[in-house]
Amino acid sequence: MARWGMVIDLEKCTGCQACTTACQMENGRLPGENWQDVLFYNEGAYPSGKLSWLPRPCMHCENPSCVAVCPTRATYKTEDGAVLIDWERCIGCKYCMIACPYGVRFYAEEKQKTQPDVRKVWPSDEGRIWDPPWAMPRHQQDMRKGIGVQPKNVVSKCTFCYHRVSQAPKGTPDLDPDDAKTRDYTPACVVTCAPTARYFGDLDNPESKVRKLIAEKRGVRLNDHTGNRPQVYYLAGEAAAIPETRSVRRKED
Amino acid sequence: MRTAMTTGTGLPPLDFRARPAPLTATLMLLGGGVGAISFAVVLWMLVTEGHASFNTSSDVAWGAPIAYYLFFLLASSGLSIIASLDTVFGIRVFYPIAKRCVWLSIITLVTGFSLLALELGHPFRMLWAMPTGLQLQSPMWWMGVLYSIDLVLLCIKFYQLHRGDWESKFTHHLSVASFVVCILAPGTLGLVFGMMAMRPAWYSPVMPMYFILTGFATATAFMLFIGSLERRGPGIAPEVRVLNDEVLPRLFFLAALAVIAMRVGQIITGLWSNFEGMEAHWRALRHPLFYVEVCGFVLSLALVSRAAWRASPAVQFLAAVIFMIAMFGARLELLIVGQEVPLFKGYWAGYTDYWPSFTEWMLVPLGMGMFLFLYGGGDWLLRLAESRAPAPR
Repeated sequence: MARWGMVIDLEKCTGCQACTTACQMENGRLPGENWQDVLFYNEGAYPSGKLSWLPRPCMHCENPSCVAVCPTRATYKTEDGAVLIDWERCIGCKYCMIACPYGVRFYAEEKQKTQPDVRKVWPSDEGRIWDPPWAMPRHQQDMRKGIGVQPKNVVSKCTFCYHRVSQAPKGTPDLDPDDAKTRDYTPACVVTCAPTARYFGDLDNPESKVRKLIAEKRGVRLNDHTGNRPQVYYLAGEAAAIPETRSVRRKED
Repeated sequence: MRTAMTTGTGLPPLDFRARPAPLTATLMLLGGGVGAISFAVVLWMLVTEGHASFNTSSDVAWGAPIAYYLFFLLASSGLSIIASLDTVFGIRVFYPIAKRCVWLSIITLVTGFSLLALELGHPFRMLWAMPTGLQLQSPMWWMGVLYSIDLVLLCIKFYQLHRGDWESKFTHHLSVASFVVCILAPGTLGLVFGMMAMRPAWYSPVMPMYFILTGFATATAFMLFIGSLERRGPGIAPEVRVLNDEVLPRLFFLAALAVIAMRVGQIITGLWSNFEGMEAHWRALRHPLFYVEVCGFVLSLALVSRAAWRASPAVQFLAAVIFMIAMFGARLELLIVGQEVPLFKGYWAGYTDYWPSFTEWMLVPLGMGMFLFLYGGGDWLLRLAESRAPAPR
């Protein structure tokens, strides 16, 4: 069984947010409720100001704290390494949102961040938060895996596009969007990434590209001290660095 | 309210023959009216807007209803501890309020759970998903289990006291079990917050102790408040007079002092620490709730610091109300501080900015109304002033 993981090369990422848009379209996300987001950081001022960014999907941790705290086991980890939510068990207590060190879980029952309120433009009559015309086909949506348009009153998160990845032939080391045989199984954010900063593959397969990149380019994980052991690795390169992670503290504060 | 000490053997379970005292009737009417109106408003908002009528978001997952729930649940545990001072440890001076404390513990628990249900996305789903999920690693699972056991034990204990069985071995063992659970339950609720290493402003092994202590202090304020409403003067049993004029104010003073000492320690640690996320403590200094909390604690403590003052029902009433408001602010402040620094949102997102919405504020009169109605109902029908016969001295 594969253990799927992602590698994001920060030296190649341009912060264009195409991944965010692709994820929104693929998974029917509300504006501002981005399962896949790009975070921005700035330091200093002109002429020596520094701008940096960090693409941030769900880390699909090896040891996920969100799974441990969920009182109903609605959040669970699959054998192939994805952390998913059973929307039919979720009670909307939001403890997982408190316990996730990476802030990648969403409860869409809130005041709309952008106008017009698209929930009223495309209302759902099936208890979903909304029903956009481009929503994933019904046969692909799966309430027990948190795939598709989010229902009301439950928590949602990035699934690693599990509806695609879970269909990949067994033993596939990498899901490469440039390979016609695996493109359809590759997560939307990886497929759409113009500078090819994202790689997706089997972390347990020594021959996979993701494994080689982590080894050769010294892949690192965010907030490793939490013990969550993310399955998303970042390549920070020689000159670059991963921006400060969770804090929003700045000197002027 | 009636202060006569009787035993309940031979009396009907619900005493409809007695007319409620004027104050009791007022509390019931006031509580029922306020509770019903606010419930209608909250229900309307939830039906028309859903949880979008709350000011919570994906950045601030837990809002004011969780703070209200903490307030009532922890008070419930504290009240159960006070009841146990009699029923478990045999401290005679607390005999007159033991039964009242058990009833108060039940109704605060019910009120807290009701407020929580309005906050959850799918409260009824919880009834089957938690038992079948059996997630033993989750402190919230344990909290739910322990508080459910707590409620069952309290109800049985109240039934035993109500039927006049204060002395049997069964009642004693039941009381011991109830006491153990009423310590474990708030402790586990403390762990729900205290185990969150990713939320540094909450992360603390001391959090369970803080919850138990503040719950106990809130309970002493509840009892001081109720004691201050009781009739004074001739005809009142000496045990009740000693309890209301001397013991409860002193107990409240000690509990409030311990809370202040603990909070000072927390605040200093928070301000000193340079750890990411702890800057929330500095930001708390700019928050009005911080001053509600600090001023309320200090003022209520000062009011009961002199013997002449603390025997006065008016001062007791004032001190108790101020302390409860301060504790209410402290619960809300705790919620906000822990989520002030968002997780992984980047510099541009800034700090979170949360203040309860109108619907969330309406849960306050709903909770208080429900509490007053149930308390008044108990005082009228369930002979809460009953006590066991005083032991010969």
